[in-house]
Amino acid sequence: MTIAPLFELKHVSHRFEHFPALTDINLQLYPGERIALVGSSGAGKSTLLRLLNGTLSPSEGEVWALGCNLNQLSPRRLRQVQRQIGTIYQQFHLIDTLRVIHNVNAGHLGRWSLPKALLSLLVPLEVETAARALAQVGIPDKLYARTDRLSGGEQQRVAIARVLVQNPLAILADEPIASLDPERSREVMALLRSLGEQTGQTLIVSLHDVAMARQYCQRLIGLRQGELVFDTLTEQVTPTMFDALYRLEP
Amino acid sequence: MKTTLPRQPCLTAPLGWGLVGLGAIVLSLLAAGLFQRELINIDGFPQLWQFLQAAMHPDLSQNLLQVTLSATVTTFAYAVCGTLFSLILGTIGGILVSEVWWESVFSRRQRRTASSLWHSIRFLLAVPRAIHELIWGLFFINLWGLDPLTAVLAIAIPFGAITAKVFAEILDETPRQPLDALLNSGVSAPIAFCYGLLPLAGLNLVSYAFYRFECSIRSAAVLGIIGAGGLGYEILLSLQSLQYEQLWTFFYALFVLNGLVDFGSAWLRRYLNCANRLELNLPSAQRSPRQSVAHTQPSHRHAIQRSLIGLTLLGLTVFSFWSVHANYSKLWASRTRQLLGELARSSLPPDWSLLPQLLPLSIQTVAMSMLAIALAGLGGMLLAFPSASNSLLSGGVLNPVRPNYWAMAGRLLTRTILLMARAIPAPIWALVALFVLFPGILPGAIALGIHNLGILGRLKAETIENLDPRPLEALKAQGAPGSLVFLYGVLPLSLPRFLAYDLYRWEVCMRETVIVGLVGAGGLGRLLTEQLSSFDYRGTIVTLAGFLLLTFLVDAISAQVRRSLR
Repeated sequence: MTIAPLFELKHVSHRFEHFPALTDINLQLYPGERIALVGSSGAGKSTLLRLLNGTLSPSEGEVWALGCNLNQLSPRRLRQVQRQIGTIYQQFHLIDTLRVIHNVNAGHLGRWSLPKALLSLLVPLEVETAARALAQVGIPDKLYARTDRLSGGEQQRVAIARVLVQNPLAILADEPIASLDPERSREVMALLRSLGEQTGQTLIVSLHDVAMARQYCQRLIGLRQGELVFDTLTEQVTPTMFDALYRLEP
Repeated sequence: MKTTLPRQPCLTAPLGWGLVGLGAIVLSLLAAGLFQRELINIDGFPQLWQFLQAAMHPDLSQNLLQVTLSATVTTFAYAVCGTLFSLILGTIGGILVSEVWWESVFSRRQRRTASSLWHSIRFLLAVPRAIHELIWGLFFINLWGLDPLTAVLAIAIPFGAITAKVFAEILDETPRQPLDALLNSGVSAPIAFCYGLLPLAGLNLVSYAFYRFECSIRSAAVLGIIGAGGLGYEILLSLQSLQYEQLWTFFYALFVLNGLVDFGSAWLRRYLNCANRLELNLPSAQRSPRQSVAHTQPSHRHAIQRSLIGLTLLGLTVFSFWSVHANYSKLWASRTRQLLGELARSSLPPDWSLLPQLLPLSIQTVAMSMLAIALAGLGGMLLAFPSASNSLLSGGVLNPVRPNYWAMAGRLLTRTILLMARAIPAPIWALVALFVLFPGILPGAIALGIHNLGILGRLKAETIENLDPRPLEALKAQGAPGSLVFLYGVLPLSLPRFLAYDLYRWEVCMRETVIVGLVGAGGLGRLLTEQLSSFDYRGTIVTLAGFLLLTFLVDAISAQVRRSLR
């Protein structure tokens, strides 16, 4: 029996100007997996995630998500696929000047019609869904707070609540804990893991903290200067593999 | 399980102020006589049509083109000289009134006595700032007649005071640790300033100086209207003698001049990687993140470019001073002193009998400024979105991926409208409005509104272009279509900044009510210009005091609203 992969990269390379960010990557990511992308900064982790959620098209090769070749979709079809992919960022990327409820409700935007979205800015709609998501991430009392008044940890929770409301098949997280202190980091990672376990959502998270990656993820993908160094289950990873990942240029 | 939801706050500060603002606008409309009397003069439409038609065939005879060229040079040169003097005054004044200077120069013990002095100097600077260039111009005309010195100083003094205030704010907001490190190691305050503070604040100061120059160009055109020469003067003459073909030639010259200056200033600011002008007014938290341009080491070519730019600016300045050829000796001539003395004597005692008359005029003035800023703010915003380069063009935040020719055409069109709106001085707009409207505060408000719409629209477009793209891309990444990215991203990110700009500009509109008063739009401005031109100094001083009071009031309200919206 074979399960179709949720994401598949076929000979994917990407260049910014003349700088090669990713070189000839082949990957298959399956539903329900909890995957960590590890590597130092500049290894291509963020680029890989942006290819997966369709905000970037590869210079060469094909990116398949949910059975579609992302490069060949019409803008409309691409949006339909993107609805099933939620992304969390290191810098949260929330709309600071909106209240929390609207940032959480932004998770609906792939489905909502224009009039409904407009109405909700005036009279917040689906408040209970948003409240439930906020309760799940542990900040139920911030529903009507201005987003820029929250602490970094709280803002990251709002971003996660937005993804919860979006309810995608896969959650991508780009260095979600790099701006947080160790205690907040553990909480956020535990939250992401429990989401994967409860709903079976696929989790793909880029981390530079190897210990975190080993603790919370089942599969580790190591990138170094845009190349795939290893792709293995967490229990099979060895210290020498990490050394290879972070070793300075000979 | 039923969880208790947090209660939604009923009346938030933005909503409250929004309602107050809306109410004030409705009251202003009533004060303008809407629904009460006839406002539109149908008989004027043929004349308006004639005026508009002339846009198609401006007078291009050689004779007139020569007049246009020399008038353009005059306006440009006034602006350059006025800006230079205002920058000199502003730099000196700005350092002197900055908090950081007083704290560096005086020891902690002396500071208590110093602080009262500091507050009084700050207050004194507010007076020349609140008085419009045009009033200064009328005042200097009484002193020196139509000497170019009148125009140059009429720009230099109020702009110097404004520049001083902004420079002081910039200096106070600049990180102070490097300065403190120098001061604590025993370096004297002036030297510490030159090494520890000015280099850090430099870019912001330069950016503001360029913006001041853009304002000077517009001011120089307005000053023409009181007879100081230049394009404004020629425009007024041809408008009054109904020579619309000539009028449009001058208009086109003004568009080109304004367009070149605005474009050049924006280009230079980008080249030097300066901040957006109005961002300087915002608290650092509200500013959009400075686009980090990877700064390479200044190469040889870079150095040549910079010195070329410097030489060009220097050359233009020298040329301007040569062509203005003002008689600066009048500044210290004994006759000036004598005239000033006479002026002071003839303005005392103030004519307090005017007071009852001032109240209704003050209400008119405030109503005019509110209507103007409402029109300018709203119109500027609506035009800013299509004219911003990143909103609809391909690769923009709301991008259809393929190049969108409609969006490009729309951008060009809205940019042109904005340029025309701000290039033509408000009094000229008022005279055009008077073709089809009966005199009153409505044509004045419309004229001020259109002129400021051009300025605000451009600034708002710049704001949109400088928005942090990452939150918008995050919305796009989850499959939100362009319209919803706009609604949940672009709009909420830019609206608070727009409101802050509008509130700042409201203060400017208040000052500018004077210049449409000149052409009969009513309010305190009209009274003031009448008194000045009939040498009624005892009345002038009372009206001026009332006007200052009103300006300070508007400043205070605007500051209060901005604080609570933050």
